[in-house]
Amino acid sequence: MPRARLKHLAKWLAALLLLALPGPACIGQVSTESQLKAAFLINFMKYMEWPARSANGTICLVGRDTLGASLAPYEGRQVAGHELHIRRITGPDQAAECQVLFIPDIEEARFQAVLRWVENRPVLTVSDAEAFTGYGGAIALVRVEGRLQFDVNVEALNSAGLRPNSQMMRLARQVTGASR
Amino acid sequence: MRMHISLLAAFLAVAVPQVRAADILDELSLEDLTKTEITSVSRKSQSLANVPAAAFVISSDDIRRSGAQTLPDVLRMVPGIEVAQIDKGRYAVTARGFNGRFANKLQVLIDGRSIYLPTFSGVMWENDAIALEDIERIEVIRGPGAAIWGVNAVNGVINIISRHSRDQEGGLVKPTLGSLGTGRLYARYGSAIGDNSSWKLSVQGRHADASRQFVNGTDSNDNLNDGLADLRYDRTTGSGSELALWANANRSKLGDLILIVPAPTQPLTLLPFATMQKVSSQTVGGRYRWLSDNSIESSLQLSASKSIVEVEKYFREDRNTYDLDYQGRYTFAVHDLIWGLSHRTSLDDTAASSVVLSISPAAFAQRTTGVYFQDDWTLVPDKLQAGLGARWDNTNLGGHSLAPNATLMWTPTRVDTAWAKYARAPRMPSRAEQNVTVLSSLEPPTQTTPPVVIRAMQGSEPLKAETVDDYELGYRTQLASNFNVDLAAFRYRYRGRLSGQAGEQNYDLLPVYGVVIQNLTLCNCSSGWVTGAELSADWLVLPAWRLQLSYTWTRIRMDASANPFAEADGQDTEKGTPRHYGSLRSQWNISSGRQFDAWLRGSAGYDRADAPFPDLVHVPAYVTLDLRYARKLNKSLELAITGRNLIGPRRYEFVSDYIPSVPVEIRPSLLLSASWMF
Repeated sequence: MPRARLKHLAKWLAALLLLALPGPACIGQVSTESQLKAAFLINFMKYMEWPARSANGTICLVGRDTLGASLAPYEGRQVAGHELHIRRITGPDQAAECQVLFIPDIEEARFQAVLRWVENRPVLTVSDAEAFTGYGGAIALVRVEGRLQFDVNVEALNSAGLRPNSQMMRLARQVTGASR
Repeated sequence: MRMHISLLAAFLAVAVPQVRAADILDELSLEDLTKTEITSVSRKSQSLANVPAAAFVISSDDIRRSGAQTLPDVLRMVPGIEVAQIDKGRYAVTARGFNGRFANKLQVLIDGRSIYLPTFSGVMWENDAIALEDIERIEVIRGPGAAIWGVNAVNGVINIISRHSRDQEGGLVKPTLGSLGTGRLYARYGSAIGDNSSWKLSVQGRHADASRQFVNGTDSNDNLNDGLADLRYDRTTGSGSELALWANANRSKLGDLILIVPAPTQPLTLLPFATMQKVSSQTVGGRYRWLSDNSIESSLQLSASKSIVEVEKYFREDRNTYDLDYQGRYTFAVHDLIWGLSHRTSLDDTAASSVVLSISPAAFAQRTTGVYFQDDWTLVPDKLQAGLGARWDNTNLGGHSLAPNATLMWTPTRVDTAWAKYARAPRMPSRAEQNVTVLSSLEPPTQTTPPVVIRAMQGSEPLKAETVDDYELGYRTQLASNFNVDLAAFRYRYRGRLSGQAGEQNYDLLPVYGVVIQNLTLCNCSSGWVTGAELSADWLVLPAWRLQLSYTWTRIRMDASANPFAEADGQDTEKGTPRHYGSLRSQWNISSGRQFDAWLRGSAGYDRADAPFPDLVHVPAYVTLDLRYARKLNKSLELAITGRNLIGPRRYEFVSDYIPSVPVEIRPSLLLSASWMF
């Protein structure tokens, strides 16, 4: 009797494990916010016209690492004709080799300083802080009613010598600095 | 056999999803991405992947979903932090041992400004310094943080970061009504001024009826009234510099019942005395951040505050505090440099002159100045980083101190981080420890000894800083794309910890015949080891269901001492910290407008001196449960019902030290709250 009960319990436990173990539930679902942000970064690389010398497939992360784990699965893959690399950088000297530079919202106090590292260079700057474009950053990922949208600062793109594809501009939630 | 197969299937499933998930995301176009709904529960803890310290972040979402009404209750979710409720307003909060009503080894800062009461170098949690709704996030770093944050950041730093007024536009009214006679009202309004400026004003009022005494169920006089107003203005100038100005005022009234009055016929029996404690403070301050042409990032912060603490009949203190902080940062090559300078002048004027409690000198001007420097040095890009820093402080109450800090962080992969840390931190003796004379405990008579009243007082030698040397290791990893684990283990060596030694005896001080007064002078005469480990795990079981576990193990071993008082104190200290402490939180988004959260938390039992008597009483272990259900009715209105302390036997969580308040019963409660945005 106790043995049967034990077996029964074991079955339940196994079933519970199957249901609950990380993994199966996620397949087929784009779920976490950081995974979605990582996918946006990859797409921005594809939807942008890059000067030949700047396209090297490197995404640089500054400050607290909020996206590294979500970007990791893309590492080494071909994105827009280049092998994708991810680098954590801490200073301006390392910023020379970045194609995309991501600064998390938590580093807002440093936006101005970090933007200066890549000033007038063909680097796409992205953050997940709504205020980012106001600081002179190129793209801000913004959470609006349970979805991720993005704002584009055209002036910042121009001074970096980058041209967004028209479809990307159409999808943007807000476009600033376009009056020229 | 079938079981084996299903287990195998389960484990296989764990190994696959990372790659699969990426595949699927890759196929989505930008347009698809903008249409994808985020159903998952947010996970902010990941943002600590590259911090070489035992750190934990509480997001504003975590605060809201916890159902907690006070800051200390929110902190219960952090591994390594021990929280015990004393009564309706008071809490004992510490990191890694040595808890107490004025736990003095934990630094608490709001936007970089310490909310310590320097008198006891502890935080008066009953006096709300910030409304929970005004908090952007709380970053808790266990372990010494003195190399940056200065003296008293000994076993932890709690950094509260307030919300930018830009993110608080519009109005919000949030009334909460609860059982046990509790109520709370929070209201806020904020708006933008042009493109570059914004402001907000928030107010909060809180009331709680008195609890019941644990022993006999009668009223324990701890009724609380607490109010707070906070004004903030932010401005960004064209050149990228930023200005923030704030003004806030708070005020609290909280009763207390302390065992202090000798019974008329039996002077050795102490009767409870009902007293009222009033605390108020006003602060104005500002911060200016700028970037100079040579790319040095600077921040200058100034603040002035005025506070009054009054315990009816026994104590009153008027205090004016002025703070100045400068921090600079410069990055070049593989170096990330931070340096800073801070100064605090705190002027107090106290009145305490009873037999029980007196302070001499009555007024004091404490000045503390510190400078620090820190370099984070990338040895191998993306793989290995070293950190080296030190801070020097000088105060006219305790002398000068040096706090070095060294870290090494290794990130072999994107998802694994291992770190090691050595740090030293000083804790400066507080004003009370240096200058107070207090009747601290009563030893009842035995057949051979007379009754003895212990009188703690300053010794002939000035007190020096207590120091801790900390050796720490940590490891963080992502076991699957939805499962993170964070481990930290530490060993602390305390030296020169404050304890007491017997001084002379007096016989004529109290108007009671036959009672001996035993003087006890404070000394830097205790030392010992604290060992501990902390685990936090974060598991997104389903996109809409997240589980978070935190577990803390702590052990204190004080050195044996030939001094009988220090020996007894050491033994009490060893027993005064729960060996196990932990919680499991569940956050479930039932649908986009409905949330259901559960929080199971518990603590092992421990022993504390039953002040004012020297004998220990046991604070029993407990496990309890909080539940919260919230429903969004429309875009602007949300209702929530919260149950706190729902299971477990009736309990008390703490026995007050230092001030002999009676233990109160922590009871189940229900709270209803509405949140209306306009």
